[in-house]
Amino acid sequence: MPIIKLPYEYLETLTGTDRDTIINRVPMIGADIERIEEDHIDVEFFPDRPDLFSTEGVARAMQGFLGLREGINDYPVTPSGISFRVDPGLATIRPFLGSAVIRNVSLTEEAIESLMGLQEALHWAVGRGRGKVAIGVHDLDTVTPPFYYQAAPRDRAFVPLDFTEEMTMEEILDRHPKGVDYAHLVRDCERFPLITDAEDNVLSFPPIINGERTKVTTATKNILLDCTGTEIKAVMIAVNNICTALADAGATIESVDVDGTPMPSLAPSVRTVSVDECCRLLGISLSAEEMAAHLRVMRFGAVADGEKQVQVTVPCYRADIMHDWDIFEDVAISYGFENFDAALPESFTTGKPHPVMVLMDGVREIMAGLGFLEMMPFTLTNERVLYTAMQREPNPGVLRLQRPISEEQTVMRTDILPMLVETLQINHHRELPQRLFAIGDCVEGRETFQKVAAVSIHTEADFSEIYACADALMREMHIRCEIEESADPAFIPGRRADIMVDGKKTGVFGELNPDVIRAFELDAPVCAMEIDLRCVQERPCL
Amino acid sequence: MAELTYNEKRLMVVLNTIKEATPEIIAGELNTTAAAVVQFAHLCAEKGIATLDRTITVSYTLTTEGEQYATLGLPERQVYASFQNEISMKDMQAHPLARIAIGWMKKKGWVTIEKGLVKKTGDAPEGADEVALRDPDANREGVPELVKRGLAEETETTAYTIAITAAGQELVKGGLDLREEVGTLTREQILSGDWKNLNLRRYSVDKLPKRIIPGKIHPYQRLIDEMRSVLLEMGFVEMYGDVVQSSFWNFDALFQPQDHPAREMQDTFFLDGTTPLPEGWERVRDIHEHGGTTSSVGWGGIWDPAKAQTNVLRTHTTGLSIQYLKDHPDESVKAFCIGRVYRREAIDPTHTPEFEQLEGIVMDKDVSFRHLMGFLKEFYGRMGFENVRFRPAYFPYTEPSVEPEVYVDGLGWVELGGAGIFREEVTDPWGVKYPVLAWGLGVSRVAMLKMGLRDLRQLYRSDVDWIRDTPMMQGGRD
Repeated sequence: MPIIKLPYEYLETLTGTDRDTIINRVPMIGADIERIEEDHIDVEFFPDRPDLFSTEGVARAMQGFLGLREGINDYPVTPSGISFRVDPGLATIRPFLGSAVIRNVSLTEEAIESLMGLQEALHWAVGRGRGKVAIGVHDLDTVTPPFYYQAAPRDRAFVPLDFTEEMTMEEILDRHPKGVDYAHLVRDCERFPLITDAEDNVLSFPPIINGERTKVTTATKNILLDCTGTEIKAVMIAVNNICTALADAGATIESVDVDGTPMPSLAPSVRTVSVDECCRLLGISLSAEEMAAHLRVMRFGAVADGEKQVQVTVPCYRADIMHDWDIFEDVAISYGFENFDAALPESFTTGKPHPVMVLMDGVREIMAGLGFLEMMPFTLTNERVLYTAMQREPNPGVLRLQRPISEEQTVMRTDILPMLVETLQINHHRELPQRLFAIGDCVEGRETFQKVAAVSIHTEADFSEIYACADALMREMHIRCEIEESADPAFIPGRRADIMVDGKKTGVFGELNPDVIRAFELDAPVCAMEIDLRCVQERPCL
Repeated sequence: MAELTYNEKRLMVVLNTIKEATPEIIAGELNTTAAAVVQFAHLCAEKGIATLDRTITVSYTLTTEGEQYATLGLPERQVYASFQNEISMKDMQAHPLARIAIGWMKKKGWVTIEKGLVKKTGDAPEGADEVALRDPDANREGVPELVKRGLAEETETTAYTIAITAAGQELVKGGLDLREEVGTLTREQILSGDWKNLNLRRYSVDKLPKRIIPGKIHPYQRLIDEMRSVLLEMGFVEMYGDVVQSSFWNFDALFQPQDHPAREMQDTFFLDGTTPLPEGWERVRDIHEHGGTTSSVGWGGIWDPAKAQTNVLRTHTTGLSIQYLKDHPDESVKAFCIGRVYRREAIDPTHTPEFEQLEGIVMDKDVSFRHLMGFLKEFYGRMGFENVRFRPAYFPYTEPSVEPEVYVDGLGWVELGGAGIFREEVTDPWGVKYPVLAWGLGVSRVAMLKMGLRDLRQLYRSDVDWIRDTPMMQGGRD
């Protein structure tokens, strides 16, 4: 989640209150305080609230929450007379453009840093790493309108930001740090997105890099904003958030004519919500007037519309308001979570454990009763441990991860026994005897099922010991089985047996083959068993 | 006074007759070893009925080399005797002991050496060392020198004297039960009642028993079971489900947009293979694209059915909750699940790619946000976290959302899980009748708080000694 840097002085000026009040109350609008520094505070906001990604936006919300200023701010937009043309050739590349002119900005170094911070946070939360939306801000006075957003040949050259020499767009992807970072977004396109002015000067190569020419500095007075992307809704969220933040800092917003459509409008949307639905969802009692008052605190425009409804004016920057319940949450925040009367509902229900859990509980009880200690190894493992070290053929149903994170964990276990022998290896230095068991999920293909395995390591561990345990387990699980000689290569010939239930192999036990023992770097005899719990036809009834 | 053992009694009887003796003598009487007698006497001495005096005697014996010189004389004596008044250094060195002897002859002042010539100074009288060499025990003066030269050895001999005390005599006078001790009861003795006349061997309670470890359920499983019983007691039905899930149930049905970062390859384990979409999937598509029949506007854009069919290792158990609600849309539902979930994270002390998640849902007429808070307080209270507070939060599939924090001594307020009411976008496609309260938490986080665990790996790659040493009962829930 984005970390937003809030300089105290700027925040105090914008909010009109002292820093301590802000630090105390900011968590209650949903911020996590990361660090409190000498001159600023770093906070983390939720990704659905891009309007809180700037100092201006936080000040706006805090003013309401602290009762300093309520209701919705007005964001007037006048036409700039500047126009933008969009090349239809971009339809399959990066079709959407949002723009605005922002005049009379006063950019200190700090304000530029804040603007860049907002831009980065929007790139992350709304732009999905610039793929969905990329934002460019330009010094309007260095270029000549009208502007053209076009699909340009890949060898078109210009001087990219922070460079002094011209490079083609292809070269930028190879050599410019931002080009390298974001090349994957455009690499496969035949032509690249480009923004130029009336005199063919390059403003930007979205979503990669701006031109050096239009770089914003402390001397910049007027800004041209471009937001390009693959989805118009997301593009406009970015435009609205940047415009309203700068407007709250004192700038004036002017619209740009994009192929005949003026933008942005910065007009709020209107929702009429039910007081009763809100009260039922939250479990509180409010009149329409009270509910409207809470919403004004949260910086909505809100008026009671009779007894049963509230008409809510939603600011254009509130990207998170998708549903009436989103508005009810803001009522709850203003009401104060600490003021809710937490209570249990009165209806009666009975609890019931899941049959699979009951089965596993029963097996755990039996195994502990037989003197085994439970282990809970990972279910992710690799084929070396599962098959190679056990001298077994790979299970054709083994489920492989598409992109494992390490060589140790590449597949889901089909058996538990190898994990348990690996646990013995981890505990090699611990006193013997060690008698361990594990129970839990295995996966074959798409199916999840359960197995139980047990091992015993000590100088006298042998077939008889594990036979007695397997026999006891099957008896206590109340499953009739037959024991046959096994051919499982993980065990010593003549000291291994299969457990057959209804003629189907369902388990195995015996003395581990010394080559297996050595493969796990152990040096004492190990007897072991494993049973597939799918043999429990009728799971215990409840 | 503690009861005497059979052997102690026998010792006391002998002592009462002879009053004082060495262990060897008593051993003869008792037909045992002297070492055993010392042991019995020691126990009697602790009880004040006998005394055990220890005398350590030091004696000296010659080493093999010492024995040899005792016969032939010390090397310096042998060499001294081998020449007249003087001898050249060169000639003297022909003697096999010359190398040892020359230093000692000089040190003892028997000779002077000048310009390669060894001259006797006088008679070379017999020294204390030579006297000691004849009988080191009788002539102690020269012994230290011999010990230093490795010609004699010190031996310590411990001698014991055992005597009876007045209290001991009093005790024996009072009479002792001298029946032989019995270790194991037999069936016959129990049936016949003879056991009453037996002298059963007494055990010392001071001696520690052999340490045995019972078979045990894993401490972490016990914590999971504790949570399960809390929820079962609160009237919840347990859910269980597959580890492999389609993206549809893991993400789409929970209103996660298809371009959400959590759905990218670096966060989720994607699998080969797909699962067909369930009946009613079109309603989920509509919700995503435009909000369906709810007051939602949806995410917009085009929802891709192919993306929803991709299989993943479940990243949470919430996919099970929504499937459970789909199957029980009308009745009141209280259900929970504790299951392993998977995230594409590298292993370190606080992260593992698989871990347990607890999840609970409540669907009922008239349940509300304040009841969600009620459930959270009740659950955490029963888990031993008495102080709970709530903060605003954001989760993609709940609205309103809340983050519970519990107060932990020494740590302060600790965030523990997340909760909220399922968004209508999540429940509407399945005709779920009432609001659904939902909460979840990482079970391993509770393990860290309640078991004082520092490293999550200990749960899955356990040190067997940790299991052995962790008591079955921990206090836990009060």
